[in-house]
Amino acid sequence: MSTAYQIVVCGSIVPDPLQTLEPVAAPTGPALKNEMMLPAVLDPWAGHALFEAANLAKNTPGSKVWLVALGPKAKLQQVMMTVAQKVPFELVALDGSASGFTDATETAAALADAIAAIPGLDKSKLLVFGGWESASRGAGATLQMVGERLGITDQFQGVDQLTLNADGSLEILERIEGGKHQVSKCAGAPALLGWATGNLPEPKNNPQVGMVNMRTVMPALQKAKPTKLAGEGLTFASVALPKQLRETQIVKDKSPDEIAKEIVEWIKK
Amino acid sequence: METILVLAHTENDGSLAKTAREALHAAATLHKSLAGSKLVVGLVGDNVQAAANSIAACPATKYFGVTGAEFTQPRYGTDTAAAEAICKTAQATVVVAPATSRWARVLPGVAQRLGGRADTHVTGAAAADGKISVNRWYYRQRMESSQTRTQRPWILGIDPGSQSACDCGAGTASVEMVAVNLPDTAKRTTVVGVREPKADAQTIRPDAQLLFVTGAGWTKKQADGQTHVPEAEKLILGFLKASRASLGSSKSLVDLGGEGQAVLPFLSHLNQIGQTGATPRHAKGLSTCCHGEEPHTVGWRFINERRAISLDPNCGWARGKADVLYVADAFQVIAKVNELLA
Amino acid sequence: MNEQPQIERQRMDVDIVCVGFGPATAGFLTTLSKQLINPDGTPAVESATMPGMPPQVLCYERADDIGFGVSGVVTKARALRASFPEIKTAGIPMATPVGEEKVLYLLDPHGASRRSTALRLADSLIRATKFALPVENHALNLPWTPSFLHKHDGMILSMGQFMQWVGAQVQSTGTVQIWPGTPVAEVLIEKNGNAAVETQSSEIKIPLTPSGGESVRRPVGGASKVIGVRLLDQGVDKKGNPADGFTPGMDIHAALTVVGDGPVGAIGQQLDAQFGLPPGNHIRDWAVGMKFVVDLPEDTTLKAGTVLHTFGYPEPEIFGFLYVHPDRVASLGIFVPSWFDSPARTAYRYLQHWMLHPYLWRHLKGGKLRSWGAKTLGESGQHGEPHLTGDGYARIGEGSGTTNVLTGSGVDEAWATGTQLAEAVLELLKAKKPFTKQNLDETYVKRRRASWVETEGRVAKKSRDGFQTGVATGMMGLALAGLTNGKFSLGSAPVQPWKRIPTVEDYYAGRVSREEIAKVREECKAKSASLHGTLMDKVGWPAIPFDGQLLVSHQDALLMGGKVQAPHGYADHVVFQHPELCTKCGERICIEACSGQAIYPGENGGPAFDREKCIHCGACLWNCSQANPENPEHMNIAFRAGTGGLHSAEN
Ligand SMILES: Cc1cc2nc3c(=O)[nH]c(=O)nc-3n(C[C@H](O)[C@H](O)[C@H](O)COP(=O)(O)OP(=O)(O)OC[C@H]3O[C@@H](n4cnc5c(N)ncnc54)[C@H](O)[C@@H]3O)c2cc1C
Ligand SMILES: Cc1cc2nc3c(=O)[nH]c(=O)nc-3n(C[C@H](O)[C@H](O)[C@H](O)COP(=O)(O)OP(=O)(O)OC[C@H]3O[C@@H](n4cnc5c(N)ncnc54)[C@H](O)[C@@H]3O)c2cc1C
Ligand code: SF4
Ligand code: SF4
Repeated sequence: MSTAYQIVVCGSIVPDPLQTLEPVAAPTGPALKNEMMLPAVLDPWAGHALFEAANLAKNTPGSKVWLVALGPKAKLQQVMMTVAQKVPFELVALDGSASGFTDATETAAALADAIAAIPGLDKSKLLVFGGWESASRGAGATLQMVGERLGITDQFQGVDQLTLNADGSLEILERIEGGKHQVSKCAGAPALLGWATGNLPEPKNNPQVGMVNMRTVMPALQKAKPTKLAGEGLTFASVALPKQLRETQIVKDKSPDEIAKEIVEWIKK
Repeated sequence: METILVLAHTENDGSLAKTAREALHAAATLHKSLAGSKLVVGLVGDNVQAAANSIAACPATKYFGVTGAEFTQPRYGTDTAAAEAICKTAQATVVVAPATSRWARVLPGVAQRLGGRADTHVTGAAAADGKISVNRWYYRQRMESSQTRTQRPWILGIDPGSQSACDCGAGTASVEMVAVNLPDTAKRTTVVGVREPKADAQTIRPDAQLLFVTGAGWTKKQADGQTHVPEAEKLILGFLKASRASLGSSKSLVDLGGEGQAVLPFLSHLNQIGQTGATPRHAKGLSTCCHGEEPHTVGWRFINERRAISLDPNCGWARGKADVLYVADAFQVIAKVNELLA
Repeated sequence: MNEQPQIERQRMDVDIVCVGFGPATAGFLTTLSKQLINPDGTPAVESATMPGMPPQVLCYERADDIGFGVSGVVTKARALRASFPEIKTAGIPMATPVGEEKVLYLLDPHGASRRSTALRLADSLIRATKFALPVENHALNLPWTPSFLHKHDGMILSMGQFMQWVGAQVQSTGTVQIWPGTPVAEVLIEKNGNAAVETQSSEIKIPLTPSGGESVRRPVGGASKVIGVRLLDQGVDKKGNPADGFTPGMDIHAALTVVGDGPVGAIGQQLDAQFGLPPGNHIRDWAVGMKFVVDLPEDTTLKAGTVLHTFGYPEPEIFGFLYVHPDRVASLGIFVPSWFDSPARTAYRYLQHWMLHPYLWRHLKGGKLRSWGAKTLGESGQHGEPHLTGDGYARIGEGSGTTNVLTGSGVDEAWATGTQLAEAVLELLKAKKPFTKQNLDETYVKRRRASWVETEGRVAKKSRDGFQTGVATGMMGLALAGLTNGKFSLGSAPVQPWKRIPTVEDYYAGRVSREEIAKVREECKAKSASLHGTLMDKVGWPAIPFDGQLLVSHQDALLMGGKVQAPHGYADHVVFQHPELCTKCGERICIEACSGQAIYPGENGGPAFDREKCIHCGACLWNCSQANPENPEHMNIAFRAGTGGLHSAEN
């Protein structure tokens, strides 16, 4: 028996991982210097979630994938041009801040509302996916709260594998301490999965998929709801980069034996 | 007035893990610096009594427990219910919990249920002038913040390893058991077991004191115009065996291996440290035959003490990236080090 | 070589496909996208592939995002303003109106550059009379510069930011799509109406390097028609052989292929190889422009809008620029040209020496590197103009010979040709005429020939030849040609770049002895290092005082500035076509000149390529000292379409 799922992936954008990031104090709280100029990418773990969702949808006929993204519209559009070629999905866009300094609770509220508003949503088929942590806030908190708001109490974090059993139940592998995986069996949808890397390679670009996705991406961006995240009750006293430079002592004229002795002492200290 | 609740779960054997003691330490420190605050402990799991006893000498004034077969499994449905019940009964305003995989799964959901807020990956909590502030990192550990919140309860997930563990002694604690009303939906999931990792990540040891980094120099032509790869292999493995260090590498070295040259067969991209590799946490780091370029050394962000051995006195390490740079032949030095360690 | 099995490729049909999203294509899409739909939402013209819909227009860009692959700029912005009459610099990050402009002749404070006797004489004259001349900090501020060099009323832009801005504008019309991270591998050519499609690789394994001359040309048997493009294969190994997740590049068929892939684009190269160049034309002049975007120190006295151009140092052949954006940010860099006859012409180290020149360093000291990058500039201008059209295709922008070396302007020209093509395309679409060579000539080429791009390009055409014989003549030639509207010029026609590259021994003759060079070679070989660092030290270039924030090692710049990366599963796009030539090559200028240290001394000293460090500047295309045996107009390196590169949108 195969169930058709409604898979909703929560994922937004983050600065391209190699960018140099520097915090600055803005009137509304901390922000990144030149935030709007920094190239952005789909949040990596959310990206894995999206690819897993697409793969699941492909293997369970009748399933459908949505991507719910809260971010600045212009940047979202740009990133979609890279993501949309990867796998088929329908975009639900919210126009607001994707900053790491926004409050997870407020982000979660906006996402949960957007999911609840998806036409034809059927809880008994609902799988909420996302990255277990963003590369911006890095909290690993948003999804749980989205799930709570949607009344989903089967939640998994750090997921690396989802297997569908013949009886409709789900087998899920979550990362736990010591490089191990916890194996759980869940009766079925609705469930929420915060993905780690999973096992799928990044899908290749497919221009045809891109063309099809574009039919919903542009309209979704055009009607993206402005979403304000006020950061109520949260105050940042400081955000700072760690100090980087050290006073290097350069040892030039010791023999290997002397150096070895020094190193061994240091290791044992 | 804040009521600080240390929320921990027991291990399979009923003991408390080091991470729980770390959270306890963080909470006790906070309690001490916050006049008029109350410190209580909440425990979830099988046999919470033994766990409570093991920390009975700590400054907590009260112990709460949720126990029973249902609560041995790390599972969202039951764990959130247990945590929620304890928080409510204890009337906690600040919850300090170790960010183990089990708690990380549920804490934000618990905050949501209680109408509070959760901050995770907390690396420090302190109070000044009656106000609590926490430290955490943003953007993949690139920048550190200090922040406060007005909402309560405020749940803090303490990053494992970021605190010292509380060394309070054992005794007898009186634990108030909290009853939990479990809806059926809380048990739709069953934890079936635990899968062990494959045995390949041998040389990566997250718990090691020392990170040993190998650079491309190990495979380059040496003063005699020859490469000495077999010798390099022997020296590196010898060092790892003697020092129990974790093995890291520069990109150049693992790239060489990736091109079918099988230079050092035990190295893969998993070992790569740096911008496009890993950023591990170790107390000390020793770099050998590596030039210390920025893309590599950014991966050393969480290595406290750093030393490097390179033939080049002008390499990156010399430019404020290491505490000590030994300008020397790593082949000779490590050979001697291995001798001394043996 | 083993037989390639027939590969099943997917095909997609659209109306117009564009290669590359640089300023030229941006101009094309800006003009086109506004006119494909009527105000009431109905198609203004109809798609042939999707009846009832407006034409399907796609653009494929190689770089991982829009604005990663371009550079610049200060521009008069004539064509930009024509497209955006309301354009305000305030709405575009890093944009500002041009303010003060200066041209500076930099003297050599170290005596390490290689200057001709004439130039040395001139230098001493300047130093001797400096009481009378505007000389400060070893720089002569030219009291008068010809008006054609001026950019007043123009704009200083970050090309990356501008392109991102345009990309958003264009796509929000909903009529065109721009897909980054998607290199076009090949052009599809149909011969004699023969349904069998010929691609470059189906015939010869190695796509051809850029064509220059008419000497070797593939026969154009009957009518050849461009029918679209093929995208790059994914899931292949370094050599392009199928590997994990092999996904053959899709064939995109289109009635019109718009080629705006810049000066080193693979598709332009293939078209040149296929169709040759018009008689007398050749592509032999290049430069690599390398730049930094810098946060100026807080107490900077440089005002937004300032434009500085320099020449004379670090080598007489190297030109420099510094443009000041708003908010204490500057774009600055140098051009190292193909007519700087040095086998050790490393842009990175020279850029550092240039920044350290006393005139500039007083402004830069304490600054911080934000972004770094490099890109080839096609300096041939109209000399290198290819066939602008053919059946089913048209060429726009720098790859079609638009860049004006006389005025140092490329963006405006590229943009203008894009808009000209768009107008032509709309005219043809409305008249329901096919995109034949003749129709494109009568609409696009006609517009282009009648425009300022053409007239100014003609003036510039001759101006640069003077540089082939020396900088003093070159500067004179520039001035002469500029002032006389091209009636007078100096110098001779350029020769192939490889012919100009002397041996290391000859270049350093009189400064570093042969024995010493032999020793340096040995030392560097043992360390697998390039030669230029040691050689420059030997002739008196001071060591760079690394400060960790602006003066950083080349590798650090790749990360701190360029954020260079490359996705897995693609073939190497830089290929040493005849390894045996490399084995006996004494210059190995490919290693010395590589902008990213992506070409490095590999096994037995020959060059090796690391795709993950390549910034796609294209300099290796013309930085090779050995002629390609199949075509002496080309060299030994093939520079093909590839993914990855810079991840900075500030350049
Ligand atoms: C975008 C980007 C991302 C990157 N990401 C990473 C990354 O994540 N991690 C990473 O490591 N690199 C990364 N790099 C590459 C990085 O810039 C360097 O190229 C790389 O770290 C160099 O490796 P290495 O120091 O081992 O090799 P080399 O530069 O070859 O240096 C070898 C060193 O060994 C020394 N040596 C040789 N023999 C001996 C001996 N007998 N005793 C002592 N010393 C000796 C030499 O003096 C030299 O200093 C990245 C680059 C880019 C552009
Ligand atoms: C350092 C530097 C400074 C400059 N400063 C100025 C200045 O101040 N003023 C000025 O007017 N001009 C300046 N120029 C020149 C100007 O940048 C160019 O003339 C202009 O960018 C040319 O535009 P284009 O659209 O023709 O080509 P390009 O800008 O080269 O764009 C071509 C695009 O095609 C893409 N592409 C290439 N091959 C493929 C493929 N196979 N598949 C898909 N995409 C592909 C490329 O990635 C690129 O995005 C400067 C150039 C450099 C290098
Ligand atoms: S690519 Fe050209 S310059 Fe480089 S080694 Fe080969 S022949 Fe010489
Ligand atoms: S290999 Fe890449 S970085 Fe080096 S010169 Fe060629 S294109 Fe530029």
